[in-house]
Amino acid sequence: MIRVKNPQDFWAGLLFLVVGCLALWFGRNYAFGTATKMGPGYLPTVLSWGLVLIGAFLSLRAFALKGPAIERSLIRPQVFILLAIVVFGLLIERVGLAPAIVVVTVVAAIASREMRWRETLAVAVGLAALCVGLFIYLLGQPLTTWTWNF
Amino acid sequence: MDILHNLAIGFGAAATPLNLLFCLFGCLIGTLIGVLPGIGPIATIAMLLPVTFGLSPLGALIMLAGIYYGAQYGGSTTAILVNLPGESSSVVTCIDGYRMAQRGRAGAALAIAAVGSFFAGCVGTVLIAAFAPILATFAEQFRSPEYFSLMLFGLVAAVVLAHGSVVKAVAMIVLGLLIGLAGTDTQSGVARFTFGIPELYDGVDFVPVAMGLFGFAEIMSNLDRGGDQPTITARITSLWPNREEIRRAIPAVLRGTSIGSFLGLLPGGGAVLSSFAAYTLEKKVSRYAAEFGKGAVEGVAGPESANNAGAQTSFIPLLTLGIPSTPVMALMMGAMTIQGIAPGTAIITERPLLFWGMIASMWIGNLMLVVINLPLIGIWVTLLKVPYRVLFPSILVFCCVGAFSINNSTFLIFMMAGFALLGYVFHKLGCEGAPFLLGFVLGPLMEENLRRSMVLSFGDPSIFVQRPISLAILLLTLGLVLLIVAPQFRQTREEAFQEET
Repeated sequence: MIRVKNPQDFWAGLLFLVVGCLALWFGRNYAFGTATKMGPGYLPTVLSWGLVLIGAFLSLRAFALKGPAIERSLIRPQVFILLAIVVFGLLIERVGLAPAIVVVTVVAAIASREMRWRETLAVAVGLAALCVGLFIYLLGQPLTTWTWNF
Repeated sequence: MDILHNLAIGFGAAATPLNLLFCLFGCLIGTLIGVLPGIGPIATIAMLLPVTFGLSPLGALIMLAGIYYGAQYGGSTTAILVNLPGESSSVVTCIDGYRMAQRGRAGAALAIAAVGSFFAGCVGTVLIAAFAPILATFAEQFRSPEYFSLMLFGLVAAVVLAHGSVVKAVAMIVLGLLIGLAGTDTQSGVARFTFGIPELYDGVDFVPVAMGLFGFAEIMSNLDRGGDQPTITARITSLWPNREEIRRAIPAVLRGTSIGSFLGLLPGGGAVLSSFAAYTLEKKVSRYAAEFGKGAVEGVAGPESANNAGAQTSFIPLLTLGIPSTPVMALMMGAMTIQGIAPGTAIITERPLLFWGMIASMWIGNLMLVVINLPLIGIWVTLLKVPYRVLFPSILVFCCVGAFSINNSTFLIFMMAGFALLGYVFHKLGCEGAPFLLGFVLGPLMEENLRRSMVLSFGDPSIFVQRPISLAILLLTLGLVLLIVAPQFRQTREEAFQEET
């Protein structure tokens, strides 16, 4: 029976293969040009094909050569870390720097199972004060401390 | 003595109160992130890039450089005291450093690491001062074919020196090059892979990519492992090594410095590779081979000198050729571009104050670091008690605010989240982020030089082998490729990295 002996390589290869195909698809209208006068599509096309070939090679080789398994993944930390970044992006222009930081710190802290509410809130407020002081007052970045734009 | 004259100018520029303050600030931050496991110089420099907007060019570069070599000092503290690498370049220091600490020689190990690093830092600085101008003069003959060949050499070297699978490293470079090409094509004006998003017309911004791939992906992987809390068992009694330890450390420091200075020059080399190579070398040449793994002085002195020497000399390719050889140097290049300085051969002649000022600041910074790390060691030990559950939300917030303040764009934040996910997936699949980042930075430069070469030669690719310098570089590249294929080298390469796992 054919089995994947190297899951890391297999999935990595598949990822490269898919990205390569996507790049070929989205870049299909960029002019290729000639060697003397390379068009905007020349190098992207060459690189995309390279990615497709390497990806296919990696995936196929994974059936033959043994390799390490993929380490286990926890759902909670990954979801909350990514969520925290997205929440920052959604909030920063709507509520301003200080409230955004407080919310983001709390969301991020939930990613760890060892999270403690009181400690997290203290860190959140401290970080908000520090960032307002550093970025707005010291560095003069064009950010607002708080606002309400919904 | 031209160098002395130039260095005098440099010290004049670097020793202004404000620049000394930037240097101290950079060294302090560097030591801090070096001590703390879970945050490295790449994420930190990316985080602080937007902050350097308002500084003078020299001040900005002095501070950012200080972070990088400061991290090499701080990393050893954690390695020796808690058996955790504070920095990836201190991984091998754990092996013997921690054992020394368990035997009650923590203070001696710390002192040897710091003094060895200082010596290596001084040598590295002198090497930059002596050789960078020569190399830059030589590089003035370079035209686009030479630059293209040189970048190709850099990418191949990055593959050879990367950890893990060669095929995956090649794929990461190709992917990096491809994503680096996104944005408006400079010649035809065609917007490539921009999907109508205005933020992408100028290309994918470097900072969110670096933060996502290195800062966030690292946090996510750490949390997967449960983020165990470091426990400090060793007590520091005296910082003075005994005579026997000094006698054994000196040759190891010298060897570590030489190997680090050389490997730092190579693309993809830098501090991490230097420390691994130095440890392997010490183990091979030492008369006390049996002691390795049980607290051999050489196992601390060699790698710790090597990583600092490598950190210093890795500035040479950037300052002379304008080609970043490691992700950290790619960030330094970003900092220069923000300040309106084009990295390359012209820096030394056109901005002597900047170039020599930066070199002088490295020496000053190394001196500061010895003081920061030895007498003040207690402060850093206290910092190690900050739990990770407090640390990682803080890192996350700083990265977000930093990325947003680049140009007040929420799109960059969402893109950063995307690269964080990508970086995490790469990590799980055993793909290294460093080759990706190198490809990403070099992509547009390579395309431009390739195009120009082809215009020069009317489409004849033999231009790369007809020009002697370009041919020499390509032959070197070919040699590297043969090295990868040669089974004997593959074995040593795997051995060199096996200490880590």
